[in-house]
This record gives sequence, structure tokens and C-alpha cells, in this order.
Amino acid sequence: MTTELLTFLAMIGVFLLGCFLCKLPVSISMVLSAITGSLVGGKGFALRHLVEGMFAYVDTILVIVTAMIFMKVIQESGTLDAISSVIIERFHKMPALMLCMIMVIIMFPGMITGSSTASVLSAGSIMAPVLMLMGVPILETACILAMGGILGMIAPPTNIPAMIIGAGIDIPYSGFGLPLTLMTFPLAFLFVLMFAYKYVKNMDYEEVRAKLRTQSREKYGFRIYIPLILAIFLMVVNKLVPSIPDIGMPLVFLICAAVGCFTGNKFNVPKMAKESVGAVLPVMGILMGVGMFIQIMTLTGVRGFIVNACLSMPSFARYIAMAVSMPLFGAVSSFGSASVLGVPFLLSFLAKKEIIVAGALSLIASLGDMMPPTALAGIFAAQVVGMPKYTPVLKKCLLPCFIIIVWGILFIVFANQLSFLII
Amino acid sequence: MKINKRIITACLCLALSIVVCCVTGVNFLAARELPMPVKGPGVTEVKMLSDWFDGLKDTNADTPVYILEGSEPGGKMLILGGTHGNEPSGYMSAFTFIENAVVEKGTVYVIPYTNRSGMTHNDPGEGNMQYFTLQTQSGPRTFRFGSRATNPIDQWPDPDVYVHYASGQRLSGSETRNINRAYPGRADGTFTEKAAYGVAELIRTEDVGLTFDLHEASPEYPVINATVAHQDAMEIASEGCINLLLEGIEMSLEQSPTNFHGLTHRELGDYTDTMAILMETANAAQGRLRGKTSQKQVMGGQDKCYEKGEDLGMLYVPWEVNGITGHPIEERCGRHLQGIYEYSLAYSNANPDKQIVYSGVPGYADLFLNADPQYLGGSWLGSYLK
Repeated sequence: MTTELLTFLAMIGVFLLGCFLCKLPVSISMVLSAITGSLVGGKGFALRHLVEGMFAYVDTILVIVTAMIFMKVIQESGTLDAISSVIIERFHKMPALMLCMIMVIIMFPGMITGSSTASVLSAGSIMAPVLMLMGVPILETACILAMGGILGMIAPPTNIPAMIIGAGIDIPYSGFGLPLTLMTFPLAFLFVLMFAYKYVKNMDYEEVRAKLRTQSREKYGFRIYIPLILAIFLMVVNKLVPSIPDIGMPLVFLICAAVGCFTGNKFNVPKMAKESVGAVLPVMGILMGVGMFIQIMTLTGVRGFIVNACLSMPSFARYIAMAVSMPLFGAVSSFGSASVLGVPFLLSFLAKKEIIVAGALSLIASLGDMMPPTALAGIFAAQVVGMPKYTPVLKKCLLPCFIIIVWGILFIVFANQLSFLII
Repeated sequence: MKINKRIITACLCLALSIVVCCVTGVNFLAARELPMPVKGPGVTEVKMLSDWFDGLKDTNADTPVYILEGSEPGGKMLILGGTHGNEPSGYMSAFTFIENAVVEKGTVYVIPYTNRSGMTHNDPGEGNMQYFTLQTQSGPRTFRFGSRATNPIDQWPDPDVYVHYASGQRLSGSETRNINRAYPGRADGTFTEKAAYGVAELIRTEDVGLTFDLHEASPEYPVINATVAHQDAMEIASEGCINLLLEGIEMSLEQSPTNFHGLTHRELGDYTDTMAILMETANAAQGRLRGKTSQKQVMGGQDKCYEKGEDLGMLYVPWEVNGITGHPIEERCGRHLQGIYEYSLAYSNANPDKQIVYSGVPGYADLFLNADPQYLGGSWLGSYLK
């Protein structure tokens, strides 16, 4: 047995022991697992590496915490109620079209920012009440949010995993638009109809209308929508005019949250902020633990061991290795999976059209956001709809995840035939 | 009682956090003190990049420029080391040049740390070493191993998408701190764009005719053991490349792609009058297939994961050269220094009125072919450092 395999097994063992036997939080288990890996791998107590690893997720953590504050603000101020009632009133006569439109809205922040978390926590939190009011059960609603977030992250114009994979072999991010559109939107429409159409097609509008909360809309008029309009504006403006500096997602969410405090119902701001941070604290801890974990994996050679093992597979089995390892490794983050496994897999498929292959690999890597313990899309989707646990969401999404993998592999297999999509 | 217990736990956690912050904070701060080259016999002046672009003054982007002026007038050449701090053969070649070269004709400018800020930290998640030590003529000397990108302390946050201002090219947001995606730079741009602009200003002001950018890449990267030249430099690059091949050095030559922007070989060639050339060697410490971090990997260029990678057909370089397994730092620096010699010779041949002639710098044979294999992996290179 190689030292790397031994180190890997020790890390996994301590993690499982911490989580299931000692009932420690996932984040603490990951820290202990990283320390164990460092010791077994012959690197001693690598304090500098443990701290440095955490910094890999500083930006993600800031996006998460500020997005949660923004979500709470639009909830408390009445913006969510207002937008839900407008959408249902206007589009209830065309349920299939409305569902597809709702899915595009959920995907939109991800399409602009490249983050599934941004999608789920912003547009997802706005659309969740709409879906539930129309009769879609809470679990199916969470699944729509999670899959919308993931597909939004991959859909054009902004697909960060594809950019990361492309940068690994110096492909500029151009020509991805049409392939990514075909990789994501058909699946998005399929999933939303799969999860919700049977509940919505026979919706009793009068019954639903009675439940709509229109007070905030009637009381504050147009100004209730200002935080949302501002968020969309700030997300889009520098994409349309690149000379305007990108202020970053955390600042966008904070500005819009601050504005939201004055555009609708009054609420206790410090209490809301405390609740928001409290809600995402476990996820922030997990991300820090994951940062340590991956740093130690790299330091001790475990990462290289895993990548080599995946690439050692025979040609046909490489597809299976890719389908399994990329989402699994995505547990540490889908961006990490794109970088660590996406680039070597792209290199191993270099005979095929690399833009199509990179796009498809990014689609498969995105499933990392559904993989525990991080499972950002799953966790936040469950949190937005008010579910105490996120595991039912993951179980219910198994079929869509499988479809995504098959869809991605089909694009890789037929990459050369699909090269006409690259414009 | 319950509250007290929680308070005690909280206090303990806080105290532990403060200790961790202090210990690692001292470590991270120390990384900002960079080891500098010893002035060799040919160094006539040391200036700062801010002398060409004062927008860099008093910032972490301001970096020393070693000037080696010959006794006879001639052409001007610039060597960029340390564009990426995690590619040690780039800045170690610059150190070796500064500490050994004697310029006879023309002037040579050498920047050992082109992105100085990138040298002051390491990439989170990569598990890189911070320092490595070599036995040199004056005893053990410690060198930094840095990052590919500018320190976030100097430029943060990254946008979601990095848009290269001159071309509109879109790359992932983290590339916004990569100086080799920031050329030709902007006087009023980001920290990294300003650093790139400083380099372009030096080239324009001093009328530098030939520029080298020294890099390394992971062995599984397709452009490796390679030279990439701007179209204006292809004639001299072809001549130099043939000479390198005749000397037994495997070197491929590529013309800079016109659709990939921000890199030295594209933008410095387009936006200044210099002939821009970039060279890549194989660095075992850089790729996704790499194994455990160690000095043997970084300096010795040895890694059993890459041996396996070669068996899998994943590598773009042979993993054994002249009976030596891996790519020791001497081979990598030897390639760079021999490349500089051959390309500058071709430049001098093409421009008799702008000749650049120097001596004293070890080449591929001195550093690698004639070395005792047991000293490869840093010790032999150290014997050429003061």
C-alpha cells in the first residue's frame, strides 16, 4: 500500500469517525481529518498549510453570508410576497410556460455570476414561494431550486468551471455560448416540468389567489421591487459595460440588502443579520474545513494519487471514472473539481473538440454542488424552503443528476460531430 | 453553570484562534521579505521599475531592475524572471544571469521578480513549499517559492470574470491577478495591470529590442520545452531554435496565437517595438498529477506520480533526459540560459548595429550535461550562485 493511499484512507477514516461515531460537526471532522492526513503523510502538524487552505474559500464564504442577508431582507421587507403574487396573477393560465419561465429566473443569477449559491439564495428564494403557492410540494420546490442553481451556474454567459478548465490548456473563453445553451436549457425545462407540472396543470387559481399576500405590493407600490431591480442592475452592468469595475457579489448583496431596509416593511435589522449569519455558519465552517482538507491532500500527494488513479482507467472506463470522480471530488467545490480533474480529463480527450469537451466537463463538475458534505446547492435549496435536512433533496435529485452526467458524456462522445455549435 | 461552561469554551476557542493568527501571521508577513540576487561582476546599476512608471512607487509591485551595461554600445535586452512565483527556473535563471554575466556589448536589463507581489504568498489549496535552500559559493542561501498570481492583499476581490481590457477577452476571475494575462497593462488599471504597464514602459523608454519571459509549466501541459515568439521575432527565434536543436536541446517553436491575449509574447510584441519571446520548461511541482510536495520535487524535478503519468501517455515531455529521471532545476535553468544565449546571438546576427554580447553565464552543458548527476537538484546550480 502506498503512503498516499494510506494517508487518504486515514483522512477518510477520521472524517467518518468524527461525523458518525463522535457526532462532531462536519467542519470539525474535516479539520481533524486534515490534521491526521498531515501527520500520516509525514508533514507533521502543518499549521501554515491548514490556515492557508482555509483562504481558498474566503470569497465563497463572503458570497454565501451576504446572499443570505439579502435573502432575509427581501423576505422580511415584503418583496418576496409582492413578486410572488404578481407572477401568479399574470401567468397562471399558462402553467408549462410559467414553470419554464420560473426556471430561467432561478437560473439567471447563476448565469450572470457563475455561482449556484447566488442563484438559489437570490432568485431561488423569490421563486420558492411562487412554486409552493401553486401547489408544488416543498421537496420538489427545493429540487427545482437546486437544479436551477446548478444549471444556471453552467449556462452562458458566465461559466466559471469552463473558464477554469479552459485556462488549464490556454483556451480563451469564447465559442462556448451555443454548446452551453444546449447543455443546460433543455435539461432545465425537463427538470422543472418533471418536478412540478403534475401539480401545477390543474391548479385552482381562486384557491391560490386567496393565499396570495399582496399587502406589501399595495402599500409600497413600485419601491418594494427596488432591491431586486438594483441587484439585477449591479450584477449585469459591468458585464454589459466591462469598463465599469466589478464590485463583487458580496458588495452587490450588501448594497441591495441595505436598500431593502428602507423600501418595505420595517424589521429588526441586527436580529435579522444575526439570524442570517447563524443560518449559514455551519456551511462556512464546512468550507473552511474543506479548504484545509484539500490543501493537505495536495501537500501529501493524495490529490495526485487520485488524479492518476482516475486517468489510469482504460478508455471506456475513463468515462465512468469521470462521471464518478468529478462530482465526488466536487464535494470540496465544483470549481476545485473543474481545476483538479477537469483539466487532466480534458487533456486526455484532446483529440476531440476541446470547447465542447470543456463545456461538458464543466456540466459534470457542477454536480459537485450536490455532493455532501458541502452540497451548497442542496443545502441552501433546503434552507430556502424551510426543510430541516437536505438529504431528501439530494435523494430526489439523483435521477436529474444521472441525466446530467449522461447528457454531458453524450456531448463528449459526439464532440467532433457537434463542433458546428462552436461559433 | 451551563452559561459559564459555554463562555469558557468560547474563550478557549478565541484564545486558540488568536494564537493561530499570531503564529501564522508572523509566517505570512515574513514571506514579504524577498531574497535578492547578489550583484555580479557585470551589474552596473540597480534601479526600480517605478523609475520608468512612478505609479508603482511605494507599492508591492515596485521591483528591482538589474542593469548590466557593456563597455561597448549595442542593443538592449530584457529578461523577465519571476512572472509566476511558482515557476522557480524563471527567477533562478535571472539570479544566475545577474550573478555571473559580464556584458561586453549592449545593455541587459534583468527583473528577477516581475510580479513581486506574487512572490510574497502561496496559492491556497496547492500545498506548496514557502522556501527552499541551496548550498551556494557563500554558504546556504534560502529562496522563496511564490504564487502564480498577485497577492490578494494587494489586489482583491477578483471579479467573476476577468475581461482583458485591450481585447475584451474573457477569462476566469482569478486570472485578473495573473500578470501574464495583463499586458500591455494600464497606467490607471488594477495593481497587476499597473505592474505590466511598468514593464511595457521600461521597454518603450529604453528602446529594448529583445525581451525574454521565462516560464515553467506542468509536464502535462501541451506547450512545454517550447519557445513561443511574437510574429516579429519568428525569424530570430527560428535561427536560435535550430541552434538549440543542433546542440541536442529539444525545443519546439510556436508563433504567438493572435487570439490569445494578455501574454508577453502577444502584447509586448504588439504594443512595443521589442521582439518578445517566451520559454517554457517542465516543472514537476506545478501540475494536477503531481505527488507529495518536497524539495526533491521542486528542485530535483522528480515525482513518482509523473513517472506514472508518463506511463499513461499524459506527458508532453520525456521523463528521462540523458539518463536523468525527471527535470532537475539545472536542466530547466540550463534550457532558459542557453535559449537566451542562442536567441540573443541570432538577434545580434540580424542587427549588427545593435549587438548584445555577454559572457560568464553557464549554459545547458555547464549546468546539466557536464554536471555530476549526484549534485543535480539544486547543489550544482548553487555552485554558480554567489
